[in-house]
Order: sequence, then structure tokens, then C-alpha cells
Amino acid sequence: MRIKVLVWVGLLVVGLAASGCLGSTGPQGYSGVVSSDGILYMGSADGKVVAVSPAARAQGLSFPSSDGEWSFAIMMPSKSFFSCGSSSVAANIYSTPVAANGLICVGIYDGKVMMVSPADRARDLPFPQMRSGEWIYPRGDDVIEAIVGSAVATDDSVYVCCSDGRVYALDISYGDERWRSDPLGAKLWTTPVVDGESIYVSTFDGHIYALSVANGSRLPWSFEAESGFSSSPVLYENTIFVGSFDRNLYAVRIGSDQPLWKFAGGNWFWCRPVVEEGVVYAGCLDGKVYAIDAASGKGLWSRPFDTGSPVVASPLMVGESLVVASDSGDIYVINPTTGTGDRIRNRENDEESSIESQILAPFCEQDGIVYIRGQDNYLYSVDVARRDIKAKLSLS
Amino acid sequence: MADLWSLIVLDPMINGLLALSSLFPKAAEFGLAIIILTVVVRVASTPLVRRQLKSTKAMQEMQPRIQELQKKYGKNKQKIQQEMMKVYKEAGVNPIGCMWPMLVQFPIWIALYQSIMKSLATTPENLLDLSRHLYSSPRIAQAIPVNSQFLWLDLGQPDRTLILAILVGGTMWVQQKMTTAPSADPRQRSTSSTMLLMMPLMFGLFTMMFPSGLPLFWLVSNVIGIATQYVITGGWGYLKRPSAVSSAQPAARKRR
Repeated sequence: MRIKVLVWVGLLVVGLAASGCLGSTGPQGYSGVVSSDGILYMGSADGKVVAVSPAARAQGLSFPSSDGEWSFAIMMPSKSFFSCGSSSVAANIYSTPVAANGLICVGIYDGKVMMVSPADRARDLPFPQMRSGEWIYPRGDDVIEAIVGSAVATDDSVYVCCSDGRVYALDISYGDERWRSDPLGAKLWTTPVVDGESIYVSTFDGHIYALSVANGSRLPWSFEAESGFSSSPVLYENTIFVGSFDRNLYAVRIGSDQPLWKFAGGNWFWCRPVVEEGVVYAGCLDGKVYAIDAASGKGLWSRPFDTGSPVVASPLMVGESLVVASDSGDIYVINPTTGTGDRIRNRENDEESSIESQILAPFCEQDGIVYIRGQDNYLYSVDVARRDIKAKLSLS
Repeated sequence: MADLWSLIVLDPMINGLLALSSLFPKAAEFGLAIIILTVVVRVASTPLVRRQLKSTKAMQEMQPRIQELQKKYGKNKQKIQQEMMKVYKEAGVNPIGCMWPMLVQFPIWIALYQSIMKSLATTPENLLDLSRHLYSSPRIAQAIPVNSQFLWLDLGQPDRTLILAILVGGTMWVQQKMTTAPSADPRQRSTSSTMLLMMPLMFGLFTMMFPSGLPLFWLVSNVIGIATQYVITGGWGYLKRPSAVSSAQPAARKRR
């Protein structure tokens, strides 16, 4: 009997050791921060949508204050084969919330799209409050595939890309499905671009598709590259800028089947580039930030700005400065003309990274302060002018 | 240490797996790549497996003599050890000889495990992590991200149909049964029969928990293991000889 127990324990240890050696982790989420009407909205690492008021933080009020702050926990049924009964787990959120008609829309990795009302979430009413415009898609226990990219809201619809390879158009008021596109190949982890009557989507199998806003049908033009596209597209003056798994940043004029130019990096251009006044600022997983002339594809700085660690979060223009955060937690303020910049120092230890956490999520700016959600589930406020980390707030 | 492991073992294997998958039709690319790479690794380690099997077989053939010694010297463990070492020396067998080929293979299996899981990149973080391991090559770039569909399986998700679990458990049981000699000692018999059942059950259970790319690798590995054993040992071994206990006992008595 004792031998049998020992054998069992041994096998369990081997199994656990094997699973530990697999080198794969479950989804963690890296939802970014968005600012709307003076309030910051973000998804947290523990499956909550959180609203933070910078004004309340400046006053040192306890969180959540009555100044428009709240946190809304999203629970999803457990998908584990061995879960018993109706067990539920915290949702995973990669999608950065989007403000839409005074409400907040967020896609959930577990296959839901939610529209939440800040006023009702602050009162902690049962979700969804239909009369306030809250909804969840799909309804009930149904789910679609994982949502990674952010939703895009227009006056009447919300568009979201899904891991089933489709784009979904949902009614902004009720969450009804207006249409879903045919599968566009592999999973779509990107954020679409909506421009007039067209939606542009970049795919993992190397296509840029144009879809009709009216019904999701494919428009005549599409672009095909040899490798898949790693980043979400950006549209600027009729040209799409998008990163590829072949380590190039592509510029593709709409209507053309040849790239306008390709710019080679040392790894994937994972984050969405920023285009300002004819210059593309692109963060790369090789740790560098490149400034590229949007028309010619020529590098503009004498050498790229090296952060020393992969740039996963999109850069952000704040006034006259370009703010860049690297995977290792370093934050830089760069002069976009010269490509030189300063690292924001860690308050406690200058040798350490600016913040002691990975930075993967997109960040935003409000009144000269940049708000960054670290993977440690803290919200950091960074004073760009003073090159200083102002404060941090636990989202847990 | 982790960097060295990546540089020397893991990265070449991940890139090899992805380069291989780019050779196949998109519909089944990664499943076929797993199968081919598993076959390549198993074939490359055949000399080690052959050595391991021979050592195991030699050890099993010596069991009756070992049992004799155990009976003869009773509780005097030191004497038993001394006599056993003499017997091993006479027969030219190293008692841990069947272990080291297994130990040499172990890092290869770990690397293969890791390369499959990392290449599947089921979450955005996994895909980001994969970027750190890739070589700059158009062939690799074209393979990213891999198509995880293969037959009825999504290689990035556990198989809910139980088919794969049954196949993994069944082949593992056959493979073990082929090499597990029934013992005359009731305690040893109990242990080995427990192992014979528990290992397939455990791996069947793991199959339902892990992304099915990994159980696919186990399944192919088991099938190749069965074929290798069949060829090296010249038959189905103890799978078709359950009476080995009764045949071993008279042989032991005869020697006495």
C-alpha cells in the first residue's frame, strides 16, 4: 500500500515538474488605459474594468472615491475540464476600453464584448442595466472566441476583431449583432481601422482587407504580403502602416498591391505605430524606436533610439515629446526631432527601471500626465515635464 | 543558464520546428511538423534506446539469480549488495546502465516539449515570448503564427473528445507492457502492475489538461517507441507473454 502511495506521489511530482518545464503560461492580459471626460478607464490584471479619477488621486482620497471611481469585476465560467459545478474565474482583458457615447466598451479575452455605464458601475447595480445602455454580447452563457484587440466605436456601431477570424459589428445602443464578416483567415488579435465606409483589418496570415461598414462584405481591394502582420494597422493620408512578422514595417497605399515601402527592424514591429506630421514613430521588439519618413520610408534619426528592451506598448506623443515605455519597465521621453531622450528615473533606486514592472499595455495622457498600467497591476502616473513618477495606485 | 539552454538547445529546436512546418500545407502544417520532428528525434536517439533496452533486458534476465540471493542472505542487505555486484560484474552488466541513456534523452524531451508549447503561442504573451527565440529568416517569418488546427484537434487547446486521451493512455500501456517483466515477488508485482496502470492513466489525464500539441507528441513518441521495441527485441515482448512468471520460476529452481 505504501509503495502504491509513493508511486502515485512520484508520478504527480513528475507530472507537475513536466508541466513546469513546458514554458507556457496562461493568459495574463495587458489592457491599456484610456482617458474620457477626465476619468481614466482600464482593464486590470485581475479581470476588472476600473475607473480612476486623477482629481481624486491628487486629493489623496481612498480608492474608489465617489468622484466617478469604481471597479467592476468580470467573472467568466471556468473552462477547465476538471472544474466542478458552476465555478467561475476572473476574466482576462487585453482590450483597451473605448469611450462610446458616454459609456465604456471593452472586449474580453474570454469571448464577450461589454458596454458599461460609468454611472451604474459607480452605484454597483446589477449588470447589465439596459435602460442605461449597458449590454453584453453575446448574451447569456454564449461566448465568441477570444478578443485581444480593442473595439472601435462610431456613432451607431462597435467594431471588434475576434480570434475566430471575423470582424463583428454590434449595435452601439443594444449590442445586437449587425453583421459578422466571413472568416478572414487566422485569428484576429488586432484593432481595426474604421474610415468612412470602410474597415481595414490586418491579419496574421499576411493580408490587409477592406470591409464594408454597411454589411461586412469584402471590398474589392486587399493587400497580401508573404508573412503575417503582427501589429494593428494605422491609417494616415490614405496609407496603411503596419508591422509584419518578417521584421519589416510596411507602408501600403490603399488600392495598391505593392508596398509603398518596407522598413527593416531587428525584430517584429508588434505595437501600433504612431504617425504625426508625416513621420512614423514605430516601437520594435528589438528594443529600438524608429522615426521614419511616412512618404519615403527613410529613417530620420541618425540612429534609432535604443531602450534596451522590447517595445511592446505603442509610443505616445505628449506635446512636443514622444513617450516610450519598454518591456523592462523603463520610460523614456524622446525629442522627436533629434531622436535623443531621457530615461525617467526610479524614485527609490536610480539603478532600477523607471517602474519595477513590465510595461506591455498602451498608455494615455491627460493634462500632461501619462498614465501607464504596469503588469504588476499598478497604475503609474508620470509627469513628463518633470521626468518624474508622480504616484502609483494598486488596481487589485 | 537559461540563456545558454535557449541558445544551444531550445532556439534551434523551435526554429527547426517552425521551418519544418512551413514546408507543409497550411491546413496541417504544425501537426505534421510535430510528427516529423518527433520521428527525427526518436530515430536520432535510437542508439541510446537500443542500449537502454539491452541493459533492461539483461537486468530482467538476471532477476531469478537476484531473487535467489535475496532468499539466501535474508536480511543481510550488505551481503546481498556485495553478491549482487559480483553477479553484475560476472555478467558484464552495469546496474545503472539502463538509466544513463534515459538521462541523456531527458533534456531532449524537455526541449521538444518547450519548443512545441512555445511555437503554439496560444496567448499574446506567448507570442511575444516566441519573438525572443526566432532567427531572422523568411521561412520562419512565413510560419508565424502556426496554424494550430490538425485533424479534429486544435493543438493549442486540450482535446475534449477523449479520443486523444485514450490513444495516449492505450499506446503508453502497450509500450510499458512490452517491457515490464512480471515478477515472482508479490510486492514487486504489485508495484509494477500499479505503474503499468498509473502511468497511462496519468498521461491520459494530462492529455485532457494540456494543449493537444503535446499529447500528439506523446502519442507519436509512444507509437515509435512500440515500433522500436518490436524491432530491437524481435517481437511484442511481455505483451504476449504474460506467463513469464511461471516460466521464470522453474528456471530459477533448476539453477538451484
